Order: sequence, then structure tokens, then C-alpha cells
Amino acid sequence: MSDIGKVRLRVPSSIKAGDVVQVRALVIHPMERIERDAQGKIVQKNYNYINKVIVTYLGKTVATFDTTQNVAENPFFTFTFKATDPGQLKVQFLDTTGGRYEGIADIKFS
Amino acid sequence: MGEPAGARDAGGGAIVTEDHRISRRTALITLSALGVAAAGGLAAMPGTAWAQALGQNESVEDAMKRLFGGKPMRDGAASVKLDVPLIAENGAVVPISVSVDSPMTPTNYVKHIYVVADKNRIPVVTRVTLSPEAGRAFMGANIRLGESGDVRAIVEQSDGSLLAVKREVKVTVGGCGG
Repeated sequence: MSDIGKVRLRVPSSIKAGDVVQVRALVIHPMERIERDAQGKIVQKNYNYINKVIVTYLGKTVATFDTTQNVAENPFFTFTFKATDPGQLKVQFLDTTGGRYEGIADIKFS
Repeated sequence: MGEPAGARDAGGGAIVTEDHRISRRTALITLSALGVAAAGGLAAMPGTAWAQALGQNESVEDAMKRLFGGKPMRDGAASVKLDVPLIAENGAVVPISVSVDSPMTPTNYVKHIYVVADKNRIPVVTRVTLSPEAGRAFMGANIRLGESGDVRAIVEQSDGSLLAVKREVKVTVGGCGG
């Protein structure tokens, strides 16, 4: 469980200026699912799952995912962005316990 | 006589530079710490509030009404491509992707993509907010499906119009536990 919060970003190896680039972001996270008692009632507690993913490129937000517990364990998200300038692509994952995990990829043109 | 004085001067100069460098570094660290704290506070709070509002234990009809009111939805089969396996052997991990034909210009782009699983106890799976900088209206994720049923993708465009597509997925082993 010590792996929680490990983020991996997969960016294509060669990017040209102006390309629309598809990126896969993976985070190791349990994404706790809802528990029910014998009567089928939901157990009330603060479930630990990722509820927000923010993708920023050159400081601008490109995409935001608001997620619920319906997202699988160790989730991966795919998104695209338009590579206009070399710079930093940052993906932040926020979970319900205040955890904050981020992955950074440097976008360079070849 | 001139030489020692010059050396002392140089020494003094070096000390001044060092002082300056340290104070600038401290200032930068303080500034960045403040920035991170401010960003964290801003991002975390609405995020939590939204997710709680987004993921409720309700029927899919209620969820649709809550999210979209009574707004009319057009069939988006022509422009929205929902890619999800017909048979999901393991409901705990179902890869899904949605792509939309859209020019993604600042005046005409896809604002939100919603993924809704009809048979899940919490039907709303995710809401993706896109900006024109994304270049292409696309999202992909691994989701959970409790049992066989329809999976819908609802696309909200920048002009507010809604496009919906759905596809039935057969699930061999449910993945939502409770």
C-alpha cells in the first residue's frame, strides 16, 4: 500500500509543435468502494477515492475529471492536449482524504 | 597599500552578494509555499463538494434530471463515438473511451463529457470538463460496472446543447462490490 499516489504519465516519444497529443496518466490508488451492512444500508464513512483530476499544460487547465467511486482501482485516465510550446504538463490527482498526487512530464519537440 | 584595500573591497563585495542571494532564496521559498497552499485550498474544496453532489445513490432517471434538468437531448450517434467492450468479463475494470467530432475552437467546443452507467447504484461515473486547448474532444478511463446494462455518454457542447449515446455492456462478474 505504500505505493499509493505513484503517478505515471505516458507521453509519446516524439512530439511536433501543433500536434494533438494523447497522454495516459496512471495513479496507484485503492479507490475504496461503498460498503454495505447486512441490511444493505450504506456504511457511513469517509471513503478514500480520487474525486478530481486536473490536467494543466503551461499553467493552463486543459481538462478536469470529476470522478466518483465508479472509477476502477489504480485508475488511468486518457486525455489529449494541443502541444503549442515546450513546457510542463502536470496532472494532479486529489482524493477525499486530502491526498494530493502529481505527475509532471516535460514536453519537448523533436 | 592599495592592494589590501582592494582585496578587502572584493571580500566585502562577495559578502554582500551572498547576503543578497540568501534573502532572495528565502523570499522565493516563502512565495512558492504560499502559492502551493493557496492553490491547494482552492482546488480541494470545490472538488470534494462536487464529487459528493456528483456521486449519489439514486436511480439513473433521477441522476439525469439532476444533472441536465429537462433539457432535450439529441441522438449523438453521428458525432459521438463511445468505445466500450460489448462483454466485460471483469466489471471491476472496464476500459471506456469517448471521442467527439468537434472543431474545439474557443467558440465551438465540447465543454463536458459525462459517463453514466445505468445499473450502477451511483450512476454518474465521471464528468470531464474540457477546454479548447485540449485540441480534441476525447477522454478515456477505467470504470467499474456493477451489472449488465446500458452505459451512456452525454456530451455538453459550449452552446449548451446535449448529445447522448448509449451502448449495452454485458458484465460477467460485477465490479461494484456493495
